[in-house]
Amino acid sequence: MSGVRVFRVLLRLYPSDYAALFADEMINAFEQGCNEYRSQRRAPFVRFVVRELVGLIIGLIAEWIAKLTTDTSTRGRSLPDLRKMRPAGVPYELWFAAAGTNYRQTSLPMEVAQAQERVRFLLNARVHAATDRDFQAARSYCYEEYRERDKVRFLKKKYGLE
Amino acid sequence: MRHVIQKPDVTKTKPLTEPVVLILLSLADEPRHGYALMKDIETLSGGRVRLRTGTLYGALRRLLEESWIERFEQSDTSREKRAYRLTSVGRKQLQLELDRLKQLTRAAGSRLARLASEGEGG
Repeated sequence: MSGVRVFRVLLRLYPSDYAALFADEMINAFEQGCNEYRSQRRAPFVRFVVRELVGLIIGLIAEWIAKLTTDTSTRGRSLPDLRKMRPAGVPYELWFAAAGTNYRQTSLPMEVAQAQERVRFLLNARVHAATDRDFQAARSYCYEEYRERDKVRFLKKKYGLE
Repeated sequence: MRHVIQKPDVTKTKPLTEPVVLILLSLADEPRHGYALMKDIETLSGGRVRLRTGTLYGALRRLLEESWIERFEQSDTSREKRAYRLTSVGRKQLQLELDRLKQLTRAAGSRLARLASEGEGG
């Protein structure tokens, strides 16, 4: 198993919100480091890979502790907050990766699965907002949810699922 | 209950850890992406500090949380599109830390000079 593959496997164990934001960059940085050390002798390269993997395991523990002990409002400053709307330009896969959604497990077309996931997310957000007595936010989630439900219906028709 | 986002307290002068100071210093002159940060930190510390990827991104996450740095999309076509830059809060924190270090260096210098003069005198 190559160093990069082990690195990727370890990254999957990180909190999903953290991984959604940083995984690609971390892999990129690690690969660049590998390329640099690979041009040297074997021993420094092996030392580099081992050092990185140990660092990743330490980081993994630290990140889980941080996730479990940090207030969500504070954490939301650096990591995606699922109660917020998906900002323009951010792909669905990235935004909902934090919710642990795996579109590959579903037999539905990707577009339909994403729209359904969005309905579930909006419903959840609406309930949370209403529980927090933030009725203005709840109302906006509600309107958004109606629009998304229409989209699901349209897509189901398009794919002949109804 | 509504979530209230607490604003980071700029006046907090808790000593910063070495990796954090180095990250802030590295971002002080220009925005950098992950690997460039690691290389620059190594240069800044004269090869003494080599941040591991896990450590670097853990620190970056905390700094983003504190709003000391911000993440943005670089407009160039390089592979690393996302880079980090210092915010005004981060710049202020770095300045406070450097002032603290200067004060400590001054105090240490005067104390060592006094010890040296006492040694010569006695």
